[in-house]
Amino acid sequence: MTVLPRRVLAATLLRSFAIQGSWNYRTLIGCGFAFALLPVLRTIYNGRPDEYQAAVQRHAAVFNSHPYLAPMALGAVSVLESSESPEVVERFKSAVRGSLGSLGDRLIWAGFRPLCVLLALSALMLGASWFFVTGGFLVLYNVGHVATRVWALRFGLRHGKRLGEQLRTVPVERVQHVMQSVGAFLLGTCLVLLLAGRPFTQETSLPWTLAGIVAAAIGMSFGARCRMPVVLAISAAALISLAVGVLA
Amino acid sequence: GLDATSFPQAMFSRPLIAATLAGWAFGRPGAGLLLGALVEIFSLVILPFGAARYPESGTAAAAAAAAYTATEHTGPPEPLLLLALVFALAWEQVAGASVIFTRRLNERLVPYGTSTRNFSARQVAQRHLLAMAIDFVRGGWAVVLGALIGVVLLRVFEGSLQASPGLSIGLILTATATMLGCALPLFGGFRQRWLSLGLGLLCGTLLLVLK
Repeated sequence: MTVLPRRVLAATLLRSFAIQGSWNYRTLIGCGFAFALLPVLRTIYNGRPDEYQAAVQRHAAVFNSHPYLAPMALGAVSVLESSESPEVVERFKSAVRGSLGSLGDRLIWAGFRPLCVLLALSALMLGASWFFVTGGFLVLYNVGHVATRVWALRFGLRHGKRLGEQLRTVPVERVQHVMQSVGAFLLGTCLVLLLAGRPFTQETSLPWTLAGIVAAAIGMSFGARCRMPVVLAISAAALISLAVGVLA
Repeated sequence: GLDATSFPQAMFSRPLIAATLAGWAFGRPGAGLLLGALVEIFSLVILPFGAARYPESGTAAAAAAAAYTATEHTGPPEPLLLLALVFALAWEQVAGASVIFTRRLNERLVPYGTSTRNFSARQVAQRHLLAMAIDFVRGGWAVVLGALIGVVLLRVFEGSLQASPGLSIGLILTATATMLGCALPLFGGFRQRWLSLGLGLLCGTLLLVLK
C-alpha cells in the first residue's frame, strides 16, 4: 500500500473545497471528485501512465456527496486505490454516496447553517454592528466548516473500506437533536425581536404585531410550502402600491 | 455566485454577507446588512439538497443591496426597502435560472460515459476549472446586471410607491415573521421543539424588557 505524503493529502483537502465546481445533472460531482483526487492518483500511479489515466477516468464517473463530507470518501478511496481492485473501489463509492449526501444535508444544510444564520440575525436584532454580525457569522461558520472537512478526510483515511460501519458509531442523532433544539430556541428569540420591530424600528403598531404572530403561526404549520405564496403576496402588495402611486 | 456552489462555500454568498459587502461598496454597509437580513430570512428554508433547483438568493441580495444603497431616497427609507426586497425576491428567480443553465452547460464540459475515454487527467482538471470560471462570470453578471436593473427600477418607482413607512414595515414584518415560522420544521417542527421554541420566545421577551 502506498503511503501518501502529507502535502498530497493537503492538496486533496484544498481541492475538495472546489469539488462542486463542475456540478451537473449527469455526473453530479463526478468530475470534481476526480479533480480533487488527482494528487493522490498521481502519487499512487507514479511511473504507470496508463493505469493513472484509467483511474482518473473511473473516478470522473457519476458520484454525489455533501461537499463538506466528500473528503471522507476522498480519504477512504485514497486508501483503497492502492490496496483494492477497481471494482471494489467502485462498489465502495456507490455504497457510501447516498449516506454521505443525506448525512451532510441533515447536519449542515438543515442544521449548522441555519443555526449560525439565526445567531447572526439575533445579534443584528439586538443592535450589534454590521462588522460584528457578518464577521462573527463568517468566523463561527467557517471554523465548523473547515473542521468538518479536516475531520472527514482523517475519518476516511483512518477507516478506509470500513467507513460505512464506522459512520454508524458517530452520534449523528444526538448532534442533530442538540442543533435542532438550539435552532428552535434561537428561532423563538428572533421571532419575538422581529415582532417588536427589530432591526427596523424600536416600536411597531399592535395590529401589525398581531398580524405577525398569526403569520408566524401559519408559517410554522405549513413550513417551506409557504415561501412562494408569501413572495407573491408581498410582491403583489408592493405592485398595487406602485400602481396606485403611478395612477395618482 | 462562485462561493455558493463551486468554491469555497465559505458563505460569502449568503444574502447576509453578500448584501453587506454590496452596501459597503457604496458606503452603507448597515443598510446593505438590513436588506441582506430580510432576504436571508426568506432563504432560510431553501435547502440545496441533491439536485434540487432553487432561487439563488445571494447574488440577488447583492444586486438589490447595491441598487438600494446607491439610490438616494427623497422620502422615508421604508417604502424603498420594501421595493428593494421585492426586487431581490424577483431577481433570485432569474439568478436561479442562470445556475440551472450553467449546470446544463457543465454536462457538455465534463467527461461522461464513453466520452470519458477521450479525457486525460489534464483535461479533467482543465474542464473542471473552466466550469468554475464560467460560474464565476455568471455570478458576476447576475450581480452587475441585477444591480443596474435594480438601480433603474428603484429610481423610477421610488417616488411612486404609495405605501407609508408604517405600512411598508408592517408588510415586511408580516412576511418575514411568516418565513421565520416556516423555518421551524427544519428544527423538527412544533410538536418536537415546542419547549425550545417557548424558551426562545421567553428569552427574546426578557431581552426586550432588559434593553
